[in-house]
Amino acid sequence: MRSRKQYTQNLALFLKVATGMTFIFPILVGVVFSFMPSRVLYSLPTWSEYWEQVSFENYKWVFNNIPVFRYIFNTFVVCAIVIVCQILFSSLAAYAFANFEFKGKVFLFTLIQVAMMIPGEVTIITNYMQVYSWGLIDTYLGLSITSMIAGTSIFMMRQTFLSQVKDIKEAAVLDGCGEMRYFIKMAMPLARPTIVSLILMRFIGIYNAYFWPLLVTNKDTMRTIQVGMARLVGTDMPEYGLILAGAVLCIIPSVVVFILGQDYLVKGMSDGAVKG
Amino acid sequence: MSNVKRRKKEQGVKVSAGLQTKQTWLPYALLLPCFVFFIVFSFWPFIKSIYLSFTLTDMFGKAVKWVGTFNYLRVLKNPEFWNMMKVTFVFALMVGAGTFLVSMIFALLSVDQVKGGKIYQVMFSLPMAIASVPASSVFIFLLSRDGIINRFLGVSIDWFGDAKMAIFAIAFVTIWSHVGSSYLYLLVGFRNVPMDLRESARLDGAGWWASVKNILIPIASPQIFFVIFLNILNSFKAFSYFKLLTGSGVGGSTDVLIYQIYKQAFGLSRFETACVYSVFLFIVIFIFTRLQFAFEKRMVHYQ
Repeated sequence: MRSRKQYTQNLALFLKVATGMTFIFPILVGVVFSFMPSRVLYSLPTWSEYWEQVSFENYKWVFNNIPVFRYIFNTFVVCAIVIVCQILFSSLAAYAFANFEFKGKVFLFTLIQVAMMIPGEVTIITNYMQVYSWGLIDTYLGLSITSMIAGTSIFMMRQTFLSQVKDIKEAAVLDGCGEMRYFIKMAMPLARPTIVSLILMRFIGIYNAYFWPLLVTNKDTMRTIQVGMARLVGTDMPEYGLILAGAVLCIIPSVVVFILGQDYLVKGMSDGAVKG
Repeated sequence: MSNVKRRKKEQGVKVSAGLQTKQTWLPYALLLPCFVFFIVFSFWPFIKSIYLSFTLTDMFGKAVKWVGTFNYLRVLKNPEFWNMMKVTFVFALMVGAGTFLVSMIFALLSVDQVKGGKIYQVMFSLPMAIASVPASSVFIFLLSRDGIINRFLGVSIDWFGDAKMAIFAIAFVTIWSHVGSSYLYLLVGFRNVPMDLRESARLDGAGWWASVKNILIPIASPQIFFVIFLNILNSFKAFSYFKLLTGSGVGGSTDVLIYQIYKQAFGLSRFETACVYSVFLFIVIFIFTRLQFAFEKRMVHYQ
């Protein structure tokens, strides 16, 4: 009886993993064929041909002809600016909403909800003109400035501050602890799980961003990884080997962060979006 | 769930009201940076977009002349605009339905937490970590004329170059990349269901489908509605795949609103038309967001 149950369980696991493999089949194919010369890829190689042809040539070419590390460095700088600013600004605002009573609180909170109703895609053209007129094209500031605040970050931080036990704060304030000191010493450290989720979500979001960086970068040295790698894609005679090698290099950082931070990401997604 | 949260919220407000500090300027100072950014990069450009949509602009996007509703009338009279709206909504429907179905299946497959379950959980959600650029690279290879998929199907279709097929191919890739986050949202919803509830239903002789239909889906209904609307809304904002997979587009069959905004502004320097389209994009997204709120209020009251 038990062994039979065990057997069904293993079979179910196997089938689910197989479904998962089918789903990420494109990625697996991409990785496997990124080691093949482009001319071979116009026709499908057999297994023995594959093992004869397999090489690091595509990767060598990509590293020699495309400033991959420069792109990744640029992207990391933008990610860092956005993450620091978002955590800072959104937790300050969230702390005000969660811990203070003040005139116009409801109005200001509604205003944030109204701002969230305006998607970035709607304002992307006018934002571009703005950033262009300020001379911020091809700068890190220009790449990051429109993402420095997000309504969802404020919501998540506010929810976290609201859920913190108020007794500690009462005691601290009675002991003469100032508001800002409490914020830095207690509220922020206690909010660490939310902050980690936010960092991971924003890292993946900004690392993978394409539309805005495409608009505000012209110089090759300022391109982010996505915009830089996209140049490989849009050619008439596609060099599939190089395209795939570029794609594999491009996904390594975000996939590593995604797998390591899976639990935090799931937590962040369930806290941030759905009101249960 | 919502009751607990509401109670928490009330408590929070009450207690913090008791702790009210005398520095009346402090909360405003805390809110200042975030409002500066909202005003400069959200409200102001939004108002400017609306303003520019009523003007003629030069090639740098500066307003030259106020023309009232002229731009709108011109756009509404253009059959290309209506074709574009049709494509936009067909695409939204395909992406919305497709992503929901696939993520629902995946979520139902992984409701039970078993040993090794993390493996397929990561696999089902992995594409959400893959950006549009590498995803496009791989699918351009897979779906090229001599690509693996065509060989497998025994056909020779230029998926991204064919005027009839391109929109389906783009929807396919978009669904693939959107499934991951929807799957995780649904999974969170399903995992909210207490184990003993499903266990007792099983002991009462309820089959798998009955327990899904009567227990899992009702309890996860907030997440289900959220995911349905999330994917429709995201499809309106999906720019990258149109740009990356079709290059300059294949006729009018892949012209969606967001892609036309880009093309009008940066391909044709018609900033006023781009702004008119931006306003339409806002209206479309606004309507669906309101619908989402209305549905949430009416439908999601099971607990």
